[in-house]
Amino acid sequence: MNALNVTDLSIDFPTARGVVHALADLSFSVARGRRLGIIGESGSGKTTTALAVMRMLASPGFVSGGSIRLADLDVLALSEEEMRRARLRRVSYIPQGAMNSLNPVMRVTDQLKDAIVAHEGRTEREVLRTRIEDAFAGVGLPGHVGSLYPHELSGGMKQRVCIALGVILNPELIIADEPTSALDVVTQRQVMQTLKDVQQRIGAALILIGHDMGLMAQSVDELVVLKDGILVEHGDMRRVIENPRHPYTRELVASVPLVGGESFLGSASVAPDFAPGRQGLPLLEFESVHKDYGEITALHPMSFSLHGDAPKIISIVGQSGSGKSTMASIMLGFNPPTTGRVLFEGQDIARMSPQQSREFRKNVQAVFQDPYACFNPFYRVDHALSFPFRRFGYATSDAQVQESMHQACQAVGLDPALILRRYPHELSGGQRQRLIVARALMLNPKLLVADEPVSMVDASLRATILKNIYDLKDSHGISIFYITHDLATAYHVSDYVMVLYKGQVVEAGPPREVIGDPQHPYTQLLIASIPWPDPDREWGGTTTAAEDIAALDAMDRDVPTVFRGDVSGFRLDVGE
Amino acid sequence: MTGMTGNRAGEIKGWRMRRFESPWINPKLFWGAGLLLAVVALGIIGRVFWNLDLAFTGAAPLKLPPVGFENLRGQEGAWHHPIGTDGSGRDMLALIVIGAPNSLFVGLLASLIGMSLGIFLGFSAGFIGGRTDDIIRVLSDVMITIPPLLILVVVQSAWGDVSLTMMALLIAGFVWQSPTRLIRAQVLSMKQSGYVQMARLSGASTMHIMFREMLPNLVPYLFGSFIANVTTSIVTAVGLEVLGLGPQRIPTLGRTIYEAINAGALIQNLWWWWGIPTLLLGLMFIGLLLVNLGLDEVSNPRLRKL
Repeated sequence: MNALNVTDLSIDFPTARGVVHALADLSFSVARGRRLGIIGESGSGKTTTALAVMRMLASPGFVSGGSIRLADLDVLALSEEEMRRARLRRVSYIPQGAMNSLNPVMRVTDQLKDAIVAHEGRTEREVLRTRIEDAFAGVGLPGHVGSLYPHELSGGMKQRVCIALGVILNPELIIADEPTSALDVVTQRQVMQTLKDVQQRIGAALILIGHDMGLMAQSVDELVVLKDGILVEHGDMRRVIENPRHPYTRELVASVPLVGGESFLGSASVAPDFAPGRQGLPLLEFESVHKDYGEITALHPMSFSLHGDAPKIISIVGQSGSGKSTMASIMLGFNPPTTGRVLFEGQDIARMSPQQSREFRKNVQAVFQDPYACFNPFYRVDHALSFPFRRFGYATSDAQVQESMHQACQAVGLDPALILRRYPHELSGGQRQRLIVARALMLNPKLLVADEPVSMVDASLRATILKNIYDLKDSHGISIFYITHDLATAYHVSDYVMVLYKGQVVEAGPPREVIGDPQHPYTQLLIASIPWPDPDREWGGTTTAAEDIAALDAMDRDVPTVFRGDVSGFRLDVGE
Repeated sequence: MTGMTGNRAGEIKGWRMRRFESPWINPKLFWGAGLLLAVVALGIIGRVFWNLDLAFTGAAPLKLPPVGFENLRGQEGAWHHPIGTDGSGRDMLALIVIGAPNSLFVGLLASLIGMSLGIFLGFSAGFIGGRTDDIIRVLSDVMITIPPLLILVVVQSAWGDVSLTMMALLIAGFVWQSPTRLIRAQVLSMKQSGYVQMARLSGASTMHIMFREMLPNLVPYLFGSFIANVTTSIVTAVGLEVLGLGPQRIPTLGRTIYEAINAGALIQNLWWWWGIPTLLLGLMFIGLLLVNLGLDEVSNPRLRKL
């Protein structure tokens, strides 16, 4: 018997511009004990499907046709009260960013207790205690965690508490909506292992919603591919990944960059045509830069110098909290270092005259992580392009400004007639991020700091945007700092990679060595934890994720930095 | 989870859609602004068509009722004084034509000054930070706990007669705290936002960031805060006037109510004397409330019902 049957499900959202069909005639089923993945880009209707099954669709969306059956239960026919009883007991939902869905002012035990009591009525204290202890043990959490408040737990622990909460009433179906999207790869592996173990133990069906092909390949049995609310492919996971039938699926599978795989960049055809910097002086230089936030050291002393004569892409990789974004804001002069100096063409950026400061701003530009926040909602998007252009004195006439904007848009593959003159909320994340790259292109800086430029953009667009950024180096002679947590893309785009761990450079060198053949235990662990979109490739090494995390905690902070070779024009030193 | 079917649903949807598209076409905003404009119009049209000299003491028979009513002495209302006269022979219509715009004026002026102060202090606190921020924050937090009426009663009774503008200035000293706090909080969060960082990368000056990047995004908040402040200021002004502490020589709605109460209008059943100014104040407050609710819908799309 199937745990869930969805037949011809359609969901509509009436909006100002007419009815949006969020989902059209979707049919699939999942049996108990099986795992089904739903993959698609943002806006493809994945989460909408999950919410419809939970009967938690946000207004004004409504089910316009089809049926949802949980085993023998017709979900759409239930009353509100019947549905309330079915939630958690028959079907549980682990939402996106579940870590924020725990009540911050309640101990986690009490939150689990609430779930049991709300569904089963008064229960004896002893029974409650043992059940909750078992639930914690089932997700690999020590018993004392129960008496803590959510803010005292790490992200991975909170996510596992949410899993414990989701399975405590032994539901027939668990829906996990991007349960690991906010976690780093090492923790992601642990959480997914926990989820799979628990699901198998209670014999429930699992629906995993996500956008990461690698995670799907390592986690599910069956795969549903959604595009714009329409099911484009459904089948056995191995078949879909190894032999995709629909062009969109093929594109999705092909867009995942692999370490050591074929480059998604194509061959650079344009001959470098760069503007040499001031002779002899490095473009950007860190002199024993060190940053503390109160007690915490965000960045241990490091020095480097980058010569802009031959443009380079330097990647800085690391997990959240490794200090890579701190490095970016120090480079941009937003955040002064605690000790040490940052020099731009030999001039300390903290002691610049207004004239020099303008020169620095003109030549050091950035692309930030969040393409939604980078545009002032009050202005049309061309403001972001034309304002700095005029400010830095490139503009000679209005027509010339327009002309430059059009050229820049075309260079990043946007149609200027469709994009300029619109407001930011009318554009997609990918379009906005490409506009920011176009902005950098227009200003033609000597150095670009790209802080996680593609982490909030849909997978199929990532390669395009990275290619746009990569082209800046070759055709415009712009040196780039590429800051990312994604080792696979760093492998392909960069000339030099440094791996940061807790503010310290643990391994540095050309990407073929550092990422292709890591030497430092931390780099090795990071690379082993990446889920590969290849069902035959084991996720992680021989160790379990829990052991890995223990090893990471025990990792000796004094393991010296492993230097794996040099590239000309960039020199890195660690220590005072 | 019910589908909308049938023509009727379609029509309703169509109407709601149009409202969704332009938030400014909003019945609350429309009626609210209408009420306030009616008060202003009363002042303007009244000045043209009515003899304002009737507002002086003894210009008319005493205690005449509005047209169509009889007072305790059996006198009937006359068209010379359509809404009656007060206990010292002043024409009610003339009093209201002068008084109603005065109350609105005090509210608007006090709120305008308070807002300007709030914008200045809020931006300073949020932008400069450090010691400046500490001082402004503590000052506004302390001021917010002091009931303005208490201080104003003391100040105005010591002052004696005040002008309308003076009263507005005094009230403005008590309505700058909440805009200050609001703007400071918004500035602090906006300072971290991507577009402000982008503007800094673009070499924008601090002034540009404050007034060209941040301020436009604050406009909906400022509007809402402004209207709320007008309401507070009018309430405070009327409170002072009803206590007899407002301007002595200029007719205001509050002062008319004060005189009515003083002369025992309640006992003598001279309801038009205190009732008409009260009604007018009520309409003004309802107008302000509707405008505020309407602006809320403009700035917060989630409140717009589809």
